Amino acid sequence: MSEGLRIAHGGRIDRSRPLAFTFDRARYRGFAGDTLASALLANGVYLMGRSFKYHRPRGVLAAGAEEPNALVGVHRDAARYTPNVRATQLELYEGLEAESQNRWPSLAFDLGAINDLIAPFIPAGFYYKTFMWPRGAWQSLYEPRIRAAAGLGTAPREADPDRYAARYAHCDVLVVGAGPAGLAAAAAAASAGARVMLCDEQSEFGGALLSQDPRTAARIEGRPALEWLTHTLAALAANPRVTLLRRATAFGYFPHNLVSVNERLTDHLASVPADSPRERQWQVRAREVVLATGAIERPLVFPGNDRPGIMLAGAARTFLNRYGVRPGTRAVLVTATDDAYTVALELQQAGIFVATIADLRGEDGAAAARAREESIPVLTRATVLGTSGRRRVRSIQLAQLEGGEPLTTQLQPCDLVLMSAGYTPSVHLYSQSRGKLRWDEGLQAFLPGTPAERVRSVGACRGEFALEAALADGAAAGSAAAREATDPARRGVCPAGAA
Amino acid sequence: MLLIECPWCGERPEPEFVYGGQAHVARPRVPAEASAEEWTRYLYLRENSRGVHAERWRHTHGCGRFFNALRDTTSDQFLATYKVGEAPPSPGQVSR
Repeated sequence: MSEGLRIAHGGRIDRSRPLAFTFDRARYRGFAGDTLASALLANGVYLMGRSFKYHRPRGVLAAGAEEPNALVGVHRDAARYTPNVRATQLELYEGLEAESQNRWPSLAFDLGAINDLIAPFIPAGFYYKTFMWPRGAWQSLYEPRIRAAAGLGTAPREADPDRYAARYAHCDVLVVGAGPAGLAAAAAAASAGARVMLCDEQSEFGGALLSQDPRTAARIEGRPALEWLTHTLAALAANPRVTLLRRATAFGYFPHNLVSVNERLTDHLASVPADSPRERQWQVRAREVVLATGAIERPLVFPGNDRPGIMLAGAARTFLNRYGVRPGTRAVLVTATDDAYTVALELQQAGIFVATIADLRGEDGAAAARAREESIPVLTRATVLGTSGRRRVRSIQLAQLEGGEPLTTQLQPCDLVLMSAGYTPSVHLYSQSRGKLRWDEGLQAFLPGTPAERVRSVGACRGEFALEAALADGAAAGSAAAREATDPARRGVCPAGAA
Repeated sequence: MLLIECPWCGERPEPEFVYGGQAHVARPRVPAEASAEEWTRYLYLRENSRGVHAERWRHTHGCGRFFNALRDTTSDQFLATYKVGEAPPSPGQVSR
């Protein structure tokens, strides 16, 4: 077991419960609380998948639901095989059998990668029916080959033996997302006496709070953030008018505040109880909905930005602080935000060598000065010319721009490249409810505008990224929603002010 | 799934109801005297309005009664429901 990448203590994993699992039949060890992605990173496994068409090596990019690369198949038995599970969402359990997809004969040596070499001949939009001659070969030779080369995962051939349950529920206030803003909203609505449902897609409530370094995390209501989290959750759990749904993704927003929630009940268990349904679909009719769906970090666009070892700065932070994993040993940070500097400092404290910070912006801020104090070189007006490394990033070529031209270039060896270009609010559910979006010039992002339902967006999903602001926003929306939902004069189902 | 307020039973989910077409379409008073044109208008011609539309609904899986509703066809929101025989609420009375 190569656990050298695991930090000695800290994180949300349970070190007293080691778990054995396999990835492509190789045996590894992780801990309870790990995801497959974090456990693989702790074992030094970076290569987790192959790209769809050119079969380029791919590693983990994000740490949650937004992961595009690390898609794996999970095998339980002949009939229970789930393809295309994000390794970052797959909770580790004893005896987990996961395998990579879209590669042959093996993930490290994939013959399909020949497509990457002949990429100039099969560009996007290439018409595969060009393989016309001889006539009979299309059905017998070309098409089966092309189908096998493309496509991710394979569906199980046997009938699904699992049961899936459904349940209807009514509540005064449904809160989607249990990050700081969502928790504040749920707590405020519950203390106003409303019937509250709180759902979150992760195994643990807390959202971004779980990714913070507990030593430097902000204090909430006079106590450390994680203590506040425990306290708030205990108060919510003790309230009989509050329903908490973990591993529950709100995926559909239908007219008059009907929200569909998919709760995963057994996928994280090593042995599945015989009488338990695998998933439960909730149809929740809420008088008021509070969306606290957060934001997703933006990646940067540069040549070769898909190599394993290149990930979002926020993802590296989550792997370090939540899962106790060093995602690399020698890092380069490419950023356009001040937030990411914090990540660099945290990584350095955890023993990762931060070779340089390349800031795409021109001016030197306080964050840059702070990094230089910690003897991390900062390159401003920087740009990325390219990266190298096949199965893992080996180096990055940086340059400083002078009048729009790359002037001084430098080659930085590294095995971890972090990128951060701000955040995009997750407005998916809000958009599904037919709410109108508006463009915010300052944030360069679409934010919720005029709603079409009785819905409120709070926290990062409406551009309130700072913790204090998100908490206040959530609490205000939570109590307002509770007040309106329980108003005795309330009549009808039309949203106020909807077009 | 919409919530529809039956004037007899209250708010119920959409699957309990069936749509009954445009409301306030009067049958010719003396059918024998109605011209072909009047019959055509009664039988076939319907509004296809963009905006507020008066329509009949039946609470099939409930009280079973017909009632009328004002619905905005652009937003799918019910502005008002009222019993058969009542005059449709004027736009000012509709709670918006």
